[in-house]
Amino acid sequence: MKPEILAKLQDYCGDAVMLEQIQSIFAEANESCKQEIDQAYFQVEQQKALFRVITRLREPLDLEQIFQATAKEIRQLLAADRVGMFRFYANSGGDDGEFVSEDVDQHFPSVIGQKIHDHCFGQQFAVHYQQGRIQVVADIHNHGLSDCHIQVLSQFQVRANLVVPLLQGENLWGLLCIHQCRAPRIWSDREIEFVTQIANHLGVALQHAELMAGLQAEVLERQQVQQKVQNLNQGLQRAITDLQAVNVELEAFSYSVSHDLRAPLRSIDGFGQALLEDYNDILDETGQDYLRRIRTATQRMGQLIDDLLNLSRLIRSEMHLEPVNLSLLAEEICTELQQNEPDRQVEFIIKSGLIVQGDPRLLQILLVNLFQNAWKFTSTSIQAQIEMGQTLTKNHIPVYFVRDNGIGFDMNYVQKLFKPFQRLHNTQEFPGNGIGLATVQRVINRHGGRIWAEGSLEKGAIFYFTLAAEENA
Amino acid sequence: MSLSHKTILLVEDNPDDEVLALRALKQAHISNKINDIVVAHDGVEALDYLFGTGMHCGRDISIKPTVILLDLKLPRLDGIEVLRRLREDKRTSLLPVVVLTTSNEQQDMLDSYSLRCNSYIRKPVDFIQFTEAIRQLGMYWLLMNEPPPI
Repeated sequence: MKPEILAKLQDYCGDAVMLEQIQSIFAEANESCKQEIDQAYFQVEQQKALFRVITRLREPLDLEQIFQATAKEIRQLLAADRVGMFRFYANSGGDDGEFVSEDVDQHFPSVIGQKIHDHCFGQQFAVHYQQGRIQVVADIHNHGLSDCHIQVLSQFQVRANLVVPLLQGENLWGLLCIHQCRAPRIWSDREIEFVTQIANHLGVALQHAELMAGLQAEVLERQQVQQKVQNLNQGLQRAITDLQAVNVELEAFSYSVSHDLRAPLRSIDGFGQALLEDYNDILDETGQDYLRRIRTATQRMGQLIDDLLNLSRLIRSEMHLEPVNLSLLAEEICTELQQNEPDRQVEFIIKSGLIVQGDPRLLQILLVNLFQNAWKFTSTSIQAQIEMGQTLTKNHIPVYFVRDNGIGFDMNYVQKLFKPFQRLHNTQEFPGNGIGLATVQRVINRHGGRIWAEGSLEKGAIFYFTLAAEENA
Repeated sequence: MSLSHKTILLVEDNPDDEVLALRALKQAHISNKINDIVVAHDGVEALDYLFGTGMHCGRDISIKPTVILLDLKLPRLDGIEVLRRLREDKRTSLLPVVVLTTSNEQQDMLDSYSLRCNSYIRKPVDFIQFTEAIRQLGMYWLLMNEPPPI
């Protein structure tokens, strides 16, 4: 009490005993006042700490930094010996975990990285926390804890503890643990309230972190997908460049074939003819026959070169896809075949309205070859019949076919059918250069389709084709 | 140019083809209508003849061929380039040029027609057909066709 106040009191009451009593009353009042001030001070500090925690949550800090700073703050404010954040392992069902962050008085051991397995905390230990349970223990030896639980806590020199769940939404992420080590401690309601509030705010931070992690994972995944697409594109680009190079080379090759391979043939044929004309009288019949054979072979080779060039042009030419009426094309071709050989009796059965997406010029070449073949190989049939129609694969992809009842072929040689210059019949009986079906095959290839044939000797042949890439069956 | 004076310029590097072309022209019985058949063995020789340069330095270039039979694949300057130079030069821009070549590559045909060749003939392998082609060419360009008034 201040001396001047004491002097005034002495003036008012001369009685020394009374003065003493008044003095004691004042001291008591003073003390309670002081406590209230202390409490108010603590509350203000609490609010300040909470404010700092919340402010920190708004900053782009990672969880570890937030935990670290918050642990320090709590420990200072509560004058606790250790504040630790315990995290349950994902999918451990709340049975296992470890301390991931702490602030600890230098006189006591750190618990960081300490793995704890729940073998003694009692059944449904985690479940209760998940429902918001708070554990308040003033003295671990006087709280009815299991020996095993006490052992775990003693290991870290814990005498009193306050444990609040850290919830990430509905999930129990971990525990916020306040330890008193030097002595038992009674936790006040205010302190419990304060720690609970902090834990709630940390829960928000945890949720944000989870959302952020989800977003980052998504961004990463997208980047990976993008990278993959980019790699694929680069691969495609390389393949295209390679193909273009091959095409350029092929063109140069074919140009050279076109010019250079035919020129010597002309010389052979020309001088052969010159020999026949100018030296006819010295050559006997056999000599003349030989020269004629030389000329025939030369001309045939010239034709083969031309056929090959046409085939290679077919592969190189640009595709122009549009709807094409196969039925109309087929009818035109049949009319022309019939006009060229009006004496032949052939029945054509063309299914109408077959519209496909393709290159009209290539499809024309395709049908001309198939129909010419059918026409040619039915030349010895009595009631010749040529049919074009459509069916479906088991994947519901349209399959077109051209069928004839001509001389057919032996299925043993079906592999040779689509190779250039392969013939299954001799040239005298059925003329041809063996390039027709090879051409057909290339037209189909360029449309991404497939062609196959069925037949048997004297029983006709049927050619099936698709014009679009088939799904994986 | 005198109407009576008719020259063919054959631009051909292959000696066999040269012999065969000359033979075909002879067989077509039009040689007697021609004063001269000049053979150039590459593009440079052809231009030298037409412009009186190089090996044909000092030639009277007012005497122009009635028709030029031009092969495309030639040493030094190729046929397309020869055609381009002819068309660019006033003195030769109207001369009838028949491309006579082995190739039927689309690009060759496009290039030739773009440079205003007057005809494009692909030499057939069959010599009888070849002779017939030469005969018709000779008949048409030397006898039927009215040359440009240059």
